[in-house]
Amino acid sequence: MHDRLDHHGMNEMSDEASLAAALRALPASAPPHEAWRHVSARIGRRRTVRRTVWFTLPAAFAAGIALAFAWPHLHLHAPLPQAARIAQAPTTAQQPDTRPAADVAALQASSAQWQNWVQSLSRDGAPLDGRALANAVALQDRIGMVDLQLSAARSPAAAADLWQQRITLLQQLGLLHLRPYMVAEQTHPARNRLISM
Amino acid sequence: MDAHSNFQQHVDPDVIARLKRGDLRAFESVYRQFERAVWTLALRLTGRADVAQEVLQDAMLKAFERARQYRGEAPFPAWLRKLVVNESLMQLRHDRLHVIDVFDDTVGDESTPQPWTSADAATLDRALNRLPDDARAVLWLYHVEGFTHVEIAREFGRSVSFSKSQLARGTRRLRELLQPRVEDTPCTIGSTTTA
Repeated sequence: MHDRLDHHGMNEMSDEASLAAALRALPASAPPHEAWRHVSARIGRRRTVRRTVWFTLPAAFAAGIALAFAWPHLHLHAPLPQAARIAQAPTTAQQPDTRPAADVAALQASSAQWQNWVQSLSRDGAPLDGRALANAVALQDRIGMVDLQLSAARSPAAAADLWQQRITLLQQLGLLHLRPYMVAEQTHPARNRLISM
Repeated sequence: MDAHSNFQQHVDPDVIARLKRGDLRAFESVYRQFERAVWTLALRLTGRADVAQEVLQDAMLKAFERARQYRGEAPFPAWLRKLVVNESLMQLRHDRLHVIDVFDDTVGDESTPQPWTSADAATLDRALNRLPDDARAVLWLYHVEGFTHVEIAREFGRSVSFSKSQLARGTRRLRELLQPRVEDTPCTIGSTTTA
């Protein structure tokens, strides 16, 4: 308070001192009783949000990396396989039998890996909303139809084509499960506000 | 004011250490110790109980979440007080729409030099709450919390002249508010009756 003496005379100092004394003598009022309850509840909520973010972010990050690796193999711009097309089993006349059985085995293994990935996303990931859930059911139906055709496939080429379709459908199903994380990444400012509150 | 109503309190270093580790019990202990001080300061600076409650919660939460950043360069209560002042002034800035900082600069009657010395606490409290927000906050920070004009200017993000003028105007307005108005004074002339 060194700047007080510079600009005030003795009368004003005494005026100031008396005002300061009067203000300091004002009785303190007590805060509302439930204030602590609110504060502790807010801490609890923030901890829950933080914990969720800390668990979700690495999962989203890992899923993002997986997506980045899988991207070249995803036929995102290709139209979805039509049910009619899937239902119509390719014939040897349409698809020359040029693919060796080893290709089919590799596609089969790849399909199994994609299926494991989708299952893990489905099990551990965020729940799907109504529209995504309907899309997921439709994709699973198509996979079921492909499986049905696979059981009747006569040639390695036909089987390879069906396995490839199955992989594509699994990739699309996986993307559906990843979408909530992608949306969460896009809502960055809102998340920041939530954390910084 | 009792000991728990101001920031001149000793805090157990062990409690501070635990608070810095995020110990909720340590935080509750600090909260209980400073609850009244924080509330009183917030109420005096903002002038509104609902805003003061918000400041109490936000400042305390910040104290808990930023405790790790407390380096011990200043006493813990001073660190906490700074959080409360910042939070209160931020609320004042946020709610500025309803504030009209208009002063009547005409010099009022200063014949009663220190009307606050004779005013009771409730009257002074009411008069203080009738001051414009900035003036009330400056008055409180300067007289009660012992801030210098330089410190007040820094807290408000304004000039030292702003602090000085708000203090002078606030003091003058407070004096006016506390002086009994002529029409309030009972007229006693001729009221003496003889039996």
